[in-house]
Amino acid sequence: MLFAVTCRAVFVLLVLCAAVQTASAADPVRLGLLQTLSPAPFYIAQERGYFRDAGLDVTFRFFQAAQPIAAAAVSGDIDVGVTALTGGFFALAGKGALKVIGGGLHEEKGYEGSAILVSTKAYEAGLTAPAKLAGHSFAITQYGSSFHYMAGRIAEASGFDVKSLTLRPVQQVANMVAAVRSGQVDATIAIASMAKPVDAAGEGRIIGWAGDIVPYQITALFTTDKMIAEHPDVLRRFAQAYARGVADYREAFLRLDAAGKPIRDASTDAVIPAITKYVFVNDPDAARKISEGVGFYDAGGALDVADVIAQYRWFQAQDMVKSDADPKTLIDTSFLPTR
Amino acid sequence: MRGRVAFRGGGFAPRPSPLAGAATLIVLIAFWQTASWAGWLPRLFLPAPREIAIALYRLALSGELWRHLGASLGRLAIGWSLGTVAGLLLGFAVGLFTLACSPGMAVVSAFFPIPKIALVPLFIIWFGIGEGSKIATLALGVFFPTVINTAGAVDNVPRGLIRMGQSFSLSWLSIVRKIVLPGALPGILSGFRVTSSIAIILLVAAEMIGAERGIGAFVLSAGNLYDVDNLLAGIVVLSLLGLIVAWAIGWLERKLLSWRG
Repeated sequence: MLFAVTCRAVFVLLVLCAAVQTASAADPVRLGLLQTLSPAPFYIAQERGYFRDAGLDVTFRFFQAAQPIAAAAVSGDIDVGVTALTGGFFALAGKGALKVIGGGLHEEKGYEGSAILVSTKAYEAGLTAPAKLAGHSFAITQYGSSFHYMAGRIAEASGFDVKSLTLRPVQQVANMVAAVRSGQVDATIAIASMAKPVDAAGEGRIIGWAGDIVPYQITALFTTDKMIAEHPDVLRRFAQAYARGVADYREAFLRLDAAGKPIRDASTDAVIPAITKYVFVNDPDAARKISEGVGFYDAGGALDVADVIAQYRWFQAQDMVKSDADPKTLIDTSFLPTR
Repeated sequence: MRGRVAFRGGGFAPRPSPLAGAATLIVLIAFWQTASWAGWLPRLFLPAPREIAIALYRLALSGELWRHLGASLGRLAIGWSLGTVAGLLLGFAVGLFTLACSPGMAVVSAFFPIPKIALVPLFIIWFGIGEGSKIATLALGVFFPTVINTAGAVDNVPRGLIRMGQSFSLSWLSIVRKIVLPGALPGILSGFRVTSSIAIILLVAAEMIGAERGIGAFVLSAGNLYDVDNLLAGIVVLSLLGLIVAWAIGWLERKLLSWRG
């Protein structure tokens, strides 16, 4: 008995030593992200060892909301982050603390990313198209969030003033969907994996896809000025490993057949285990949920520079970002391609 | 008995001096401003009082401040009044009647420690995303401390006075009105100081969900946008609100408790 315990202790010690040794050999990178499906290429790059191959020891730091990720980068708690570009992010970036270095999730025509979800009550009362949203209540997480931005751009594209929407900040994505399901709020935006079950259950209606109205760079990869100045080589290797993850992701989820339907085959099934380590853990229905919920990523993790500048300008015009910094100073395109 | 005995009374009675109170705050702010000017504090993420004052001035000028303040004051007035009236009723019942005493305190002890912020999502389902859930958050936050405080204040009314009233064969109602009520008033009023502050603290939580206007909603949105000048301007408004309410209660105390001499 005692012998077995000692044996186990020695074994654990050996494993720990080995772990410490490999850790010290690789450059540590702390990545801030949301524990959702949207950063799936990072999960793939991590689980398939692409980061390790690049001589990096990447640790995931999970956050509950987008804004704190930007703040954590400023405070030095993470080195790289991937998150929605929000008013708060641009405010911090405008102060010269953060730089966007690559693309993430992108709303794209024909790919179901973010749905415009309305309550059954509002739908029956005639809210059947995005253009009819004027004058309705609209749930967002917070002012300056990506949902606020999408509401604003949908309003612009549909030709009504965003101020005619009664915006309801409810802090969390789950609350937004709950508010629409219970009919407390007329409309909101929800990602496909959350919106489709609501629509299927008859608790709400999808009246359009944000990507069809406003193709836009939802999430992006960013880092701090300090990181760019001190460890450009680490960032370069990180970007390459990330691009490999994106390539696998596109191969698995984003190929369309002649009819425009997504192709699902062996390469899809092959990446599912890497993703279910982080989201839909132990969910027997995970493969279907992932397959239905994935969004569009540009090839090579490319960044839509023009759109990032457009977003920054919109937040400025709404008086949510007061910085008057040149938007080009917020972006560094030396690590990843541009769209 | 030889020698003189020095006077040993006095003390233990701090006298209020509004001037000293104001001076302390002014010195603190002046120190903060100096530290900012001298560059001891990072200007980027902790603005100087001067910048906060400018932000406040702009908000007042654009009318934004008054819209937010109006919405919040309405919620505070209704929520606090509802919670206080209900709390006073139950508090007196607990303090006066055996029948209400233990059941009332049991309920209060069970529900008081529940963080009202955690209940906000439930309140939305119960009272709607509009004003109902916000007022309910404030009213419930105020209700429980008021009950505890009122019951305690009634309990602390000197028994001798009540017994004396009974000896002079005063009616039950007379004793309550002329002895218990005035006797409990100092305790109740000092409880108002606590509950009004609790209401202001809960304002931010109450306006977290679904509020377009309100100082709490404004502070949250400025925080989300890392708009530190406006964030601190909003906090200054909340703090001023606290000072004004404290002053009003002080005035009420002087008016209502002048009989104490």
